[in-house]
Amino acid sequence: MNKTVLAAIIVVIAMLGFTYVAVGSAGGMGGEGDWVNKLAVLGAVVLVIVTTFVVTKYVRQMQNDTASGKLADENWDGIGEYKNELPLGWAVIFLGSVIWAIWYFLAGYPVNAYSQIGEYNEEVAAHDAKFEAQFANMDDATLNAMGESIFIVQCAPCHGLQADGMAGKAADLHVRLAEKSVKVAIVNGSNNNLLGTSMPMPDRNGLMNANTNALITDAEIDAVSAYVAGGLKGTAGADVFAGTCAACHGADGKGMEMVAPNIAEMSPAMVDMVLKHGKKGAIGAMPAFTNLTEVQFKALDAYVSSLSKK
Amino acid sequence: MENRPLEYDYTVAKWFMLTTVVLGIVGMLVGVILAWEMAFPAVNTIAGEGLAEYTNFSRLRPLHTDAVIFGFTLSGIFATWYYIGQRVLKVSMAESKFLMFLGKLHFALYLLVVVAVVGSLLLGITTSKEYAEFEWPIDIAVVVVWVIWGMGLFGLIGIRREKSLYISIWYYIATFLGIAMLYLFNNMAIPTYFASGGVGAWYHSVSMYSGTNDALVQWWYGHNAVAFGFTVPIVAMIYYFLPKESGQAVYSYKLSLLAFWGLMFVYLWAGGHHLLFSTVPDWMQTMGSVFSVVLILPSWGSAINMLLTMKGEWQQVASSPLIKFMILASTFYMFSTLEGPIQAIKSVNALAHFTDWIVGHVHDGVLGWVAFMIMAALFHMAPRVFKREIYSKSLMNTQFWIQTLGVILYFTSMWIAGITQGMMWRAHDEFGNLAYSFIDTVAVLHPYFTIRAVGGTLYLVGMFLFAYNMYKTMTSSRRVEESELQNASPMGA
Amino acid sequence: MFHWLEKRPFFFAVAVFVVIAFAGLIEILPNFAQASRPVIGTKPYTTLELAGRHVYIKNSCNACHSQLIRPFKSETDRYGHYSLSGEYAYDRPFLWGSKRTGPDLMRVGNYRTTDWHENHMKDPAGVVPGSIMPAYRWMFKNTADIDTAYAEQVTVNKAFAVPYNAEIPMADGSKATVALADTVEGARASALEEAKVITADMKDQDVKDMVEAGQIPEIVALIAYLNSLK
Ligand code: HEC
Ligand code: HEC
Ligand code: HEC
Ligand code: HEM
Ligand code: HEM
Ligand SMILES: [Ca+2]
Ligand SMILES: [Ca+2]
Ligand SMILES: [Cu+2]
Repeated sequence: MNKTVLAAIIVVIAMLGFTYVAVGSAGGMGGEGDWVNKLAVLGAVVLVIVTTFVVTKYVRQMQNDTASGKLADENWDGIGEYKNELPLGWAVIFLGSVIWAIWYFLAGYPVNAYSQIGEYNEEVAAHDAKFEAQFANMDDATLNAMGESIFIVQCAPCHGLQADGMAGKAADLHVRLAEKSVKVAIVNGSNNNLLGTSMPMPDRNGLMNANTNALITDAEIDAVSAYVAGGLKGTAGADVFAGTCAACHGADGKGMEMVAPNIAEMSPAMVDMVLKHGKKGAIGAMPAFTNLTEVQFKALDAYVSSLSKK
Repeated sequence: MENRPLEYDYTVAKWFMLTTVVLGIVGMLVGVILAWEMAFPAVNTIAGEGLAEYTNFSRLRPLHTDAVIFGFTLSGIFATWYYIGQRVLKVSMAESKFLMFLGKLHFALYLLVVVAVVGSLLLGITTSKEYAEFEWPIDIAVVVVWVIWGMGLFGLIGIRREKSLYISIWYYIATFLGIAMLYLFNNMAIPTYFASGGVGAWYHSVSMYSGTNDALVQWWYGHNAVAFGFTVPIVAMIYYFLPKESGQAVYSYKLSLLAFWGLMFVYLWAGGHHLLFSTVPDWMQTMGSVFSVVLILPSWGSAINMLLTMKGEWQQVASSPLIKFMILASTFYMFSTLEGPIQAIKSVNALAHFTDWIVGHVHDGVLGWVAFMIMAALFHMAPRVFKREIYSKSLMNTQFWIQTLGVILYFTSMWIAGITQGMMWRAHDEFGNLAYSFIDTVAVLHPYFTIRAVGGTLYLVGMFLFAYNMYKTMTSSRRVEESELQNASPMGA
Repeated sequence: MFHWLEKRPFFFAVAVFVVIAFAGLIEILPNFAQASRPVIGTKPYTTLELAGRHVYIKNSCNACHSQLIRPFKSETDRYGHYSLSGEYAYDRPFLWGSKRTGPDLMRVGNYRTTDWHENHMKDPAGVVPGSIMPAYRWMFKNTADIDTAYAEQVTVNKAFAVPYNAEIPMADGSKATVALADTVEGARASALEEAKVITADMKDQDVKDMVEAGQIPEIVALIAYLNSLK
């Protein structure tokens, strides 16, 4: 076999192998049926093969043929020009591609009445059909797993992969509330739609301690903040809580429907509210998520509320 | 006069050769810095935290693209024009004081624009449009430079002795007209300082077009800036330098003709391939795709014509590094003009657009084709312009292989990076949710970014070898007689 | 005929021009008027937002970030509703970009917040480990160019009838108005008011101090712009 051809074949195989190894290992030859991925890889393959093939053809002509033809009369700075005919293959393909283009543009494409938005709608419908059926009744473990996978894509940029809030940049989701957060809620009140309505919690000027019959004091705020952040354990601050907060949040802090949210633990209902309405507090602001489906919300509620129980 | 050989005046050509080399090195050095910044973000602050404003990736990127396009490539186009133009029209610049003056003015104003561009881009004065970043004062200067070049170009054609225009001249004329038309339309803007009665920065302007229309005009420009900056004038070069250096006649007039008019006709229609799946109408996108595929043929026409010109001349390809540069250039031209149409197919573009595969495509074109051809042109011109042989053939060979390796590392790594990233962006997991967060798709690219940076660095090393070789050629290599300068360029060992 | 042209540079040039100009007309004209109509809910930029847009352009954020969500499930899942032509009606220049080294930002205002941007622009890798985005610390010190933003507002209002001080229909049926000050002093004052709202959610003390002193750092304008991307 000719050395050039051999070299060409080696180039093709090496490059394709290289691509296969790299792309294959990147974890995404795409799901089955993702023909776009395959087409792109195929494009890359065609690219190497056709170029190598054509160039090899001409390299062999450089090696073996001799130049010939009738020279034109003109001559520019010593450069002559042959009156050779067009290379047949080139001319035929050129003509063919022009005809194809005219056909495709005037007949092939409008006949299909293509619309990219229509195509999108079909894609979404197919996707939904496939997964809605599959996840109609998920058990807790599946729900959690799904929640975790959404979390990594949608939430980790703020809360971190460990959901620890990345050194105070967002809420640490392993605990319900940081002490600072409780304090700010008491001092400034809270208005984050945590009940699904715009029912606010009053600021400190609206919080009476039933034990003392006076507005809550700085010392009491400190004590009760530590108590709530600590998961309502121990005795310090318990009396303030019972006197000031329990009326709304319940004696166990688990909240009351339509009155006040659960501040003892991360419950699915509470997480759901945060996701749908966002939250602005002592740490910063968390956006509301408008782009998720109910199933995805459910999965996230389950996953996030499971974190703090671990 | 009639009986003596013409004494061509290469003064302006020489000056532009100098800027080609210098701006090539500057532009590619910046490219190399960018490449390392993507692999290792700490490089963003390489000159210290205080200067990070000027050395970070985003501030430098437009400087890279504009330095290599409007610095390196355009200088190369002008240098070769001031060389080829005289020779194939058989008329010397020295014959017309006016043309000589225009040429020198052209160069002087061009240098001013270069300084203004570098300064303003470093300061962050940009309109953000790719390859059309300059604000209106510079745009006006660019138009002036262009008009002066055009006057010189048509002036020289006007006093030519060779009545029939050589192929290269066709392409230079097209370059002039194409860029003029595109640049004017894409840069239409209103200076806000004047419109608002003297408020704010005097150099700021606002685009005449908005949103989707702005995008349409921009990519009509952007695509054809590639056509009339990276293709048409480079084809002009190869049509002169390859036959001249090899002493072979051009393979086929008919092929030259059809490839030229085919390219002129088809290129302009393909701009839509930069806007696939955007908000421009479907029919326009389809038009861009379809014409891109047709475009393979006129592009390959010229490349094939050149390869066939070397028919039966393998010994030259094997022995002359200068011919090697040109043959590899036309091969890469074929490669990127096949790759482009593949990327223009809508479903492939759905994956390739926005990824590094596009960047790979860009660089197999510009490094393998544009830059190789420009360097080959300068190598051929140097002995004729400086009347000395090329300083070192072995250095040329070394440069050739280092840079070839550099290009291969560049485009293979970006090719894989692009397809990998595109696939990860669209992957869904077993729950039907996105499988990867964005940062996952960034992290996997690290090895490829590193390989690209190594490839780019090799290419830059080649540029330094090139500059050294040119410098030695200019200053200290063996002097040559006119008789040695017919075809193959004389080279020292 | 071609031989004839090749001896006549003038006609040759005319022929080339006709051939290359033709496609431009077909490509650009038909769609021109139509594409620029705003969709319901699209508002022009406020002075501070526009100044932030200038900061975005000055630093070529568009070199790494697109602002174009293509109609694919994977993109709408990640970034939100696909882009509509009319949403860009007030974008001069358009900022679609052509490379996504970083994610799309067309609707980043929906899912990122002021304090997050503050942390991120100061130290991207501190927020997103492994990020290759440069840190933009000087933006916390340089002041934004409010005057030029105002000049641009005046210009587009005059030249392209961009509806400032006019009622704009919103998706929920209500009307919104974006004010354009009569004088540059007025614009500076209203930008400062806007800036105070942003800084209230920020932590950097130097930034807060600057705004208190009546100066607007670039970062504040940039965040106003990013928050407006919805
Ligand atoms: C009048 C009823 C009422 C009283 C009394 C009350 N809260 Fe609340 N609290 C609410 C409501 C309602 C919300 C939810 C507001 C919202 O949507 O943000 C809330 C929210 C909170 C939050 C914010 C939860 C979060 O996730 O950010 C904390 C912390 C909190 N309360 C702690 C307390 C403490 C401690 C006390 C006693 C010192 C107390 N509350 C007293 C009604 C009350
Ligand atoms: C742009 C940043 C950002 C994103 C994205 C984000 N969060 Fe948050 N999140 C925050 C911040 C900041 C807080 C703290 C708000 C405060 O000060 O109370 C928070 C608070 C929360 C809380 C309340 C914790 C508590 O006990 O009060 C939950 C639950 C939560 N996030 C879940 C999620 C989930 C699930 C996602 C993804 C779907 C997510 N977050 C995405 C920034 C973000
Ligand atoms: C070198 C490339 C690069 C440049 C330049 C760059 N970014 Fe980024 N950007 C990234 C990458 C990579 C990410 C994803 C990782 C992360 O979030 O840091 C990102 C993320 C972001 C995000 C978060 C978006 C999201 O959905 O999580 C915002 C907002 C952003 N960049 C804004 C900017 C702005 C504003 C500028 C210019 C001043 C800029 N970026 C310049 C690469 C870049
Ligand atoms: C038949 C010829 C060609 C076709 C059909 C073609 C097609 C394309 C396509 C489809 C893209 C990607 C658009 C996107 O998705 O973002 C692209 C980008 C690009 N191509 Fe080509 N290409 C061709 C030849 C070339 C050549 C020869 C060069 C340079 C020497 C070149 C330089 C570029 C550049 C610089 C870009 C990047 C534009 C940007 O900034 O986004 N192309 N081309
Ligand atoms: C030493 C060689 C070079 C290196 C290392 C290099 C590196 C780079 C890098 C890192 C980018 C940014 C890619 C991104 O944003 O992801 C880039 C962009 C670009 N470079 Fe180069 N470059 C080199 C030479 C050249 C030359 C010689 C040219 C032109 C003649 C060129 C033209 C371009 C263009 C047009 C782009 C923009 C591509 C796009 O937007 O799609 N480069 N280059
Ligand atoms: Ca401009
Ligand atoms: Ca680009
Ligand atoms: Cu193009």
